[in-house]
Amino acid sequence: MNTKTETENKQLQSVASDEVAISMSKVNKWFGNFHVLKDIDLSIYKGERIVICGPSGSGKSTLIRCINRLEEHQDGDISVNGVTLDSNLKNIHAIRSDVGMVFQSFNLFPHLTVLENCTLAPVWVRNMTKTEAQEIAMEYLTRVKIPEQAEKYPGQLSGGQQQRVAIARSLCMNPQIMLFDEPTSALDPEMISEVLDVMIELAETGMTMLVVSHEMGFARRVADRVIFMDYGEIVEQNTPEEFFANPKSDRTKLFLSQILSH
Amino acid sequence: MTEITEQNKVSEKFVPKPSLPPPPNTTGAIGWLRYNLFDGFLSSCLTVLSLIAIGFMCVNFYEWAFAKAVLEAANRQECRITPTEFGTCWAGVKFWFTRFIYGRYTDTEIWRVNFAAIILILWMIPVWLPRVTAKLNIALSGVLIFPFLAGYMFLGGDRNWFMEIMVSVALGCFITVMIHSLLCLFTGAGISRWIIQLTGFSSRSERLHKFPVIMFAVIIFLLSLFLINDVAFKEMPNNLWGGLFLTLVISGIGIASALPAGILLALGRRSKMTVIRVLCVAFIELFRSVPLITILFMATTMFPLFLPEGFHINKLASAIVAVCLFAAAYMAEVVRGGLQAIPKGQYEAAEAVGLTYWQSMGFIVMPQALKYMIPNIVSNFMGLFKDTTLVSIIGLYDLLGMINAVSQDPSWIGLHHEPLFTAAVIFFIGCFAMSKYSQYLERNLGAGHGR
Repeated sequence: MNTKTETENKQLQSVASDEVAISMSKVNKWFGNFHVLKDIDLSIYKGERIVICGPSGSGKSTLIRCINRLEEHQDGDISVNGVTLDSNLKNIHAIRSDVGMVFQSFNLFPHLTVLENCTLAPVWVRNMTKTEAQEIAMEYLTRVKIPEQAEKYPGQLSGGQQQRVAIARSLCMNPQIMLFDEPTSALDPEMISEVLDVMIELAETGMTMLVVSHEMGFARRVADRVIFMDYGEIVEQNTPEEFFANPKSDRTKLFLSQILSH
Repeated sequence: MTEITEQNKVSEKFVPKPSLPPPPNTTGAIGWLRYNLFDGFLSSCLTVLSLIAIGFMCVNFYEWAFAKAVLEAANRQECRITPTEFGTCWAGVKFWFTRFIYGRYTDTEIWRVNFAAIILILWMIPVWLPRVTAKLNIALSGVLIFPFLAGYMFLGGDRNWFMEIMVSVALGCFITVMIHSLLCLFTGAGISRWIIQLTGFSSRSERLHKFPVIMFAVIIFLLSLFLINDVAFKEMPNNLWGGLFLTLVISGIGIASALPAGILLALGRRSKMTVIRVLCVAFIELFRSVPLITILFMATTMFPLFLPEGFHINKLASAIVAVCLFAAAYMAEVVRGGLQAIPKGQYEAAEAVGLTYWQSMGFIVMPQALKYMIPNIVSNFMGLFKDTTLVSIIGLYDLLGMINAVSQDPSWIGLHHEPLFTAAVIFFIGCFAMSKYSQYLERNLGAGHGR
């Protein structure tokens, strides 16, 4: 609670540099005949924090899932940290181990303990020894404030705790970019803030973050840039202050009036 | 708010009523009987009828199995209890029992079969002991490496360089498993920890720890190579194998190979690579649509026709291959069913943390899927165990083959029922044990799994 008020008072300093972390040019994707992403051009700088919002079906999840190749784009170029995403498996694995992802439905591994969830990838992908990986995992579990749950199985935790484990699991790989796909949408209202607190703390460390979310309070406080998508296009992007105060397109205005009206 | 508090003030103190005993005859044994067996006129009638039928069968069975039993006889003719009536000739079963178990295996060499069985049991016991670590490795080595040792012990004869190596590896593994299990039981630390401590590597970096372990493995291998150097068994060609022993060899190899082969086929069928997928689908559909007996006939009679002149294939070997292929096709579909129960999110999460395809299958998907598949897998294993009796039709003397052979023995001619009953009991024991073990596995692996 304490940290929350502190961060509220302190406007987050933008730590974005000029170095490009993710660049997308003319990216197109179809699901069958359905054109999900249309000519997406987007550059994201290191340390930048971006919130993507938009109505359901607008392609925002697909956009971030293209970045670590959970979805394959059919046209255009995506490069992550200078590595171009193509069908080369080596590149895909290199990018995936540098890009962490947090899902709406947590997707923890139910047959492994919380600690094993966190150490599996560092041991097998980063070739750490088990003890090293466990030390790092405990460090991140402490950071998401659940070190005491390390020996439990995911099924024994609440939704908010599971999502924090999922964040810790991603962080254990020491990623340079974190993708969040509606991380709070599947949570009970009371648990949303515990997850958002962790994300805010993460933002303070200067992590490059792409967050698909409808948490407008979070966007206002943390984001360097808010992107609004509809029908597979980026309709508008701006700093949060401008975005909420003076939306340019009438589609954005309508969306904001609906989402902020209650 | 104020209203509620005022109400609380005026409300009387609540005293729960005392609990009364339930109405008579609704609980305990009498209640159970009333509810399950005598619940109304029809139900009572059915119960009485069933009891009469069961009692009738029990009396008849008792009469057949015990009252008319003849335990000592040298041939079937001596089994008569009256000049016109044969008794239940258990003497014949007793006389043939060793044959039922070992087939025509030479009596003086039977200890080899028993010895191999004891080694397998000793190899597998640690898997059930909670204090022992590295259970998966022990089980895997038992399934993958033990067959070479067993194969040599059963077959005997000369060893070529490959068998020499594999038998030594198997013996080395067995020795290691035994030392490891004893160390775990008595000291609580596994063999690798002991090796590292004794060689003084425990203070060094964890990455170097594998070297003394590898050294130990090499030493054990050389030791076993030395141990088996003077050992030579008399050759026992596999047409002498038979009885329950042969049934267990065929179904054991079938069971051991079915699961890994089934997993590969199922993954192949779900693969994005068209060639692999088409091949796997073709294999699975072909072998699932043909009866096992047809495959056995094809393997033993038709397949040799395609081979070059003078090239012989052992009948047992081709039967085993046929059983394995058949079992693999069935298992593939069971595994595919289990894979479909795993949510897409698990695959995505595994990919997103950077695991490769085989890593995510091995660590994330399969362990979860196999748990769902246990009942089906065990059903399949039981089916396979019983289906192996079909090899008696192509002239192998498995348990059923030996049973049939009894009735053709001049001194026991016409003795059918007693041996068949014996076979039924043996199969029931085997299958019931498998079934109970699968239930135990399901309960144990369920620990901590979701809510």
